Amino acid sequence: MEFLRPESLGEALAARAAHPEAVPLAGGTDVMVELNFARRRPAALLDLTRVGELTGWHADGGTVRVGAGVTYAELTGERASGGQTALGRLLPGLAMAARTVGSPQIRNRGTIGGNLGSASPAGDCHPVLLASGASVEAASVRGRRQVPIDDFFTGVKRNALAPDELITAVLVPAPGGPEQFAKIGTRNAMVIAVAAFAIVLDPVRRRVGTGIGSAAPTPVRAVAAERLLAGALAGDGLWESRGPLPEQVVTEFGQAVSAAASPIDDVRGTAGYRKQALAVLASRTLGWAWRDYRAAGQQAGRG
Amino acid sequence: MTSMFGEPIARVEDDRLLRGEGAYLDDLGHDALAAAFVRSPHAHAVIRDIDVSGALDAAGLVAIYTHEDLPGRVGEPLPLLIPHPALTHGRTGYPLAAAEVNHVGEPVVMVVATDRYLAEDAAERIVVDYDPLPAVVGVDAARAAEHLVHPDVPGNVAAHLVQANGDAAAAVAAAPHRLELDLYIERSASTPLEGRGVLARWDTESRRLRIWTSTQTSTGVRAAVAAKLGLALADVDVITPDVGGGFGVKIVHPWPEEVLVPWAAMTLGRPVKFTEDRSEHFVASAHERGQRHQVRVGFDDDGRILGLDVTFWHDNGAYIPYGVIVPIITSTQLLGPYKPGAYRVEFSSLYTNTVIVTPYRGAGRPQGAFVMERTMDAIAAELDLDRTLVRERNFIQPGEMPYDHGLIFQDGRPLIYDSGDYPAALARLKGLIGWDEFEAVRRAARAEGRRVGIGLACYVEGTGVGPYEGAHVVVETSGKVRVATGLTSQGQGHQTVFAQIAADELGVPITDVEVVTGDTRAFGYAVGTFASRAAVMSGSAVALAARAARAKAIRVAAAALEASPDDMEIVDGVVRVKGDPGSGIALGTVAVLSNPLRYAFDEAARAATQFVGGDLSTPPVAEGDEPGIEGREYFSPVRSTFASGMHAAIVETDPDTAEVKVLRYCVVHDCGTLINPRIVEGQIHGGVAQGVGGALYEKMAYDETGQLQNASFMDFLMPYVSEVPERIEIDHLETPSPLNPLGIKGAGEAGVIPGSAVIAAAIEDAEGFPITSMPISPSDLFELRRRHAASGETANASQTASVNRAG
Amino acid sequence: MRITATVNGTTHQADDVWPGESLLFVLRERMGLPGSKNACEQGECGSCTVYLDGVPVCACLVAAGQADGRQIVTVEGLAAGGALHPVQQAFIDAGAVQCGFCTPGLLVAAHDLLARDPSPSEADVREALAGNLCRCTGYEKILDAVRLAAARLAAGPGGDGA
Repeated sequence: MEFLRPESLGEALAARAAHPEAVPLAGGTDVMVELNFARRRPAALLDLTRVGELTGWHADGGTVRVGAGVTYAELTGERASGGQTALGRLLPGLAMAARTVGSPQIRNRGTIGGNLGSASPAGDCHPVLLASGASVEAASVRGRRQVPIDDFFTGVKRNALAPDELITAVLVPAPGGPEQFAKIGTRNAMVIAVAAFAIVLDPVRRRVGTGIGSAAPTPVRAVAAERLLAGALAGDGLWESRGPLPEQVVTEFGQAVSAAASPIDDVRGTAGYRKQALAVLASRTLGWAWRDYRAAGQQAGRG
Repeated sequence: MTSMFGEPIARVEDDRLLRGEGAYLDDLGHDALAAAFVRSPHAHAVIRDIDVSGALDAAGLVAIYTHEDLPGRVGEPLPLLIPHPALTHGRTGYPLAAAEVNHVGEPVVMVVATDRYLAEDAAERIVVDYDPLPAVVGVDAARAAEHLVHPDVPGNVAAHLVQANGDAAAAVAAAPHRLELDLYIERSASTPLEGRGVLARWDTESRRLRIWTSTQTSTGVRAAVAAKLGLALADVDVITPDVGGGFGVKIVHPWPEEVLVPWAAMTLGRPVKFTEDRSEHFVASAHERGQRHQVRVGFDDDGRILGLDVTFWHDNGAYIPYGVIVPIITSTQLLGPYKPGAYRVEFSSLYTNTVIVTPYRGAGRPQGAFVMERTMDAIAAELDLDRTLVRERNFIQPGEMPYDHGLIFQDGRPLIYDSGDYPAALARLKGLIGWDEFEAVRRAARAEGRRVGIGLACYVEGTGVGPYEGAHVVVETSGKVRVATGLTSQGQGHQTVFAQIAADELGVPITDVEVVTGDTRAFGYAVGTFASRAAVMSGSAVALAARAARAKAIRVAAAALEASPDDMEIVDGVVRVKGDPGSGIALGTVAVLSNPLRYAFDEAARAATQFVGGDLSTPPVAEGDEPGIEGREYFSPVRSTFASGMHAAIVETDPDTAEVKVLRYCVVHDCGTLINPRIVEGQIHGGVAQGVGGALYEKMAYDETGQLQNASFMDFLMPYVSEVPERIEIDHLETPSPLNPLGIKGAGEAGVIPGSAVIAAAIEDAEGFPITSMPISPSDLFELRRRHAASGETANASQTASVNRAG
Repeated sequence: MRITATVNGTTHQADDVWPGESLLFVLRERMGLPGSKNACEQGECGSCTVYLDGVPVCACLVAAGQADGRQIVTVEGLAAGGALHPVQQAFIDAGAVQCGFCTPGLLVAAHDLLARDPSPSEADVREALAGNLCRCTGYEKILDAVRLAAARLAAGPGGDGA
């Protein structure tokens, strides 16, 4: 087996083009498991941990560009990247999602790019990226492109990357409002979620974003629920008034989110339970997000 | 010098382990060849053909073995370790499958290569052609017997046993109140952090076999392997290195690999090692717990049980090498601290196409406690009585000890409780958890929209089963004391507690005591570590052996000092006349004097040589005496000693997500006299964590084709630090056992036993409908709520779903 | 391939390493450092936790080639000059060890926690240890040990933190 270890993005893309059979390797949290259990014996490994261009992040206008090699621990702010510790504050939804990866050792090693590359329906970052309308930046020797997150997940553990492409970054719109993420698992730590949900409220663009994990073949948005909530917020002037959310809106939002999922029965839970869990997660995260929005308004009012 | 016995001293094992210098099986034998196995991917299939040709040119390959390559007894089925008259259809697996496979993970081909990666790569290239057969999965399918696991075992029934004391059916029929319960417990497993493993070296010059294995019984492995390989026992050494946890699964022996690896080492003339990986551990070692029970109980207006009639079905997996120990324990220990009136229990042990079932910590008792305690709660609900009151009324009273249940226990001996004070334990538990104040807690929680519940469960555990353990204590001329016992350790701190016992008995500092366990070179007669027996059995043997060595030391020193042995004592390693510190002889010197010498090997030894003097009219070693200060004693009690305890828990259930959180967990524990309270606490903590795991998280999720869906730590949900109760509140009661010299009872398994029972009771109390099946996940609880809401149940504990009033 | 890494302050080299091997295998089988344990090979149990360039990771999930040229500290490197680190001593004094198989990984995790945060909250301690499985202890005495070590470290050298 060949071990390719490019030290720059140019070398990495050249290696990717020359060895389409090579398996990209970053934090190893998925690939190494397959190697350890002899489930996979790829002809080559393409180690991306020495490619400086994939690390770090920067905020540019309304967008935060997060390098594919940024770890969960950098997303939470536990471990600084490049002397910067503010990433967790800048992207609170991603920080919350990264925090639910129970093991510090995995948070230290697993990367956002690797999470997208594996494209598991249970990937922890995915619901937040869907809710915030992020894009995935992919590169190859042919050039760079941005794939809207809505088009990225194409099937169970499949994504829109071409065989010669690598994920180089994730472009996340800087939040203009509250973000929340929550998941339910049978056990607290290290568990694959029974269901996960993210919500992003953008008062500037009057936009509601959602993302569902572990409850469909791919991570999905709850588009009808987004419309329902956006309509209610606009119709009742709630964006401006920051008034309390009618309980009925919260309940209906939860139901609409639940309806958007197509879960299955498996060892972690029944489809019925997953739908219930999603309704609860959606109602709760909406409640928290709206509470945050109202609190921010009060603070602004006082300031 | 203060007494060591009863002190929470630090463990002598730890320094090494904390430096990363522990020597577990896979830390040994870096020069050894590595073995890997091709295992069955089918739950039930006929092997049509094995094609190894694709692997023959694999890098690093040394050998490939199939069943046909195994000579004589090596290839024959593994022994049925514990025969029983009720086990009429005992079947055991072959080390390598002969013609048929009966569970996913059964070994079919053994590959030996220069390292593990290469062995696995070669194994991948071997093609086995199977003809799949219908799989029998789970108790219900086994009972239905639409398909058979073994064609010559009708009804899939390996064993069928009935025990009775009185006419339970008549007593139930005549009782003023009757209930029927249908109860189920799912499979779980020991799951030690270190899997199984074995290393073997064949010394071609001395023609001796040396085996290191991660086992709970080195003498058991030695006898079994010597028999399989046709070697004299004296030519086989079995050494148990540091063991990374066992919890029962490592008492089974010989595992296929424990026969095959030594045989391959002999055949190849090179050391060979097998280290099980995690996925293998899930499908190729052993599980436990899976049972379905039907209970008929009759009781009076006060809740006193008049008759108890229990029928249950035990899933024993594909083979039954460990016999019917687990269901026998369930059937007897189910009774807990109670008098059942007339009792009848009947079980069938059933084959399924799943991993074998052998004892896992608690060994059938968690199921028994679940059944009995669910029954107690059902009686309380039926009569609208406090749950503790019903238990109190059924307790065996301290004055009734020893109490004979009129049944036969797992050791083939009568089920007679030796001691215990159950009313006192319950009083302490109620105080500890605040049982009588709980309704106020419930009301306060309800006012905040929270749902809480409280439950309790009691158990009695027969510990320290025979037949025996032995120990050897020798005082060296350096004054150091070496203690050896054949019983193995799996991390419970045996070296510390045995050193505490020996230090106290001999009157030496504990730092002068060194303990060896589980090495047949140091002590050849032993049984093993299981059934909470190490402290009782080996601890007692160490005490007796140390007493013998002490008596000898006093006799020799008394002769040297021309004093009466009755006036002597040993203090801080010095044998002296009582109360006269100036009179003493160091124990090491006594050891010198005890061994008449011709040759002085050092300065101290001169004192024992032949021209020093002494009584020239008697032989240097008197008739019937031996040289040296040693004791070798065996402890063999007439029957088991019965520890007991009670747990109570308060849980909160999320009204929306059905998540369950354990808010408080209280334990009252009676294991007789405590040797080291800190170690006992650690055993309770670990047991409770496994109990909570078994109640809320852990199960073996087989699909209908016999594939285990959750065979990894990602999906088999063992508790992390984030899942255990915040603090386990413990109170000890010490009711000494009259059956051994130290008054001790076993403590290793107790913590796990009432776990499912107590959590089920607390959830039932929170939810208001009966909990009859464990473990229970949020998804399970959600589905139960849905079912009870649909059937019009109110949040009122009326026992209708699975608890039926009998006609 | 050849792997060179600084392990516990010493340069170690291993030849003919298959690049897909785990760092755990390299440490245990090729560098003579078996202190880090293999209990799951998939990052769930934490028994193989080592520092890689100062950050605790599961050595089973690091490919050998990824460790080339890196700085590694294993459990064998925690006791400076023979004396146990306060975290190790606290494990003895609190009775936090049973079979000891998970202990090396827990020690590295606890060591890292206290290096980052000398007085962690209860929740921080649980979160820091949430990547390590222990089947023996029920964690209670491990939590005690981490609290004890934190108290002693806060009391400074020679202090018993009581």
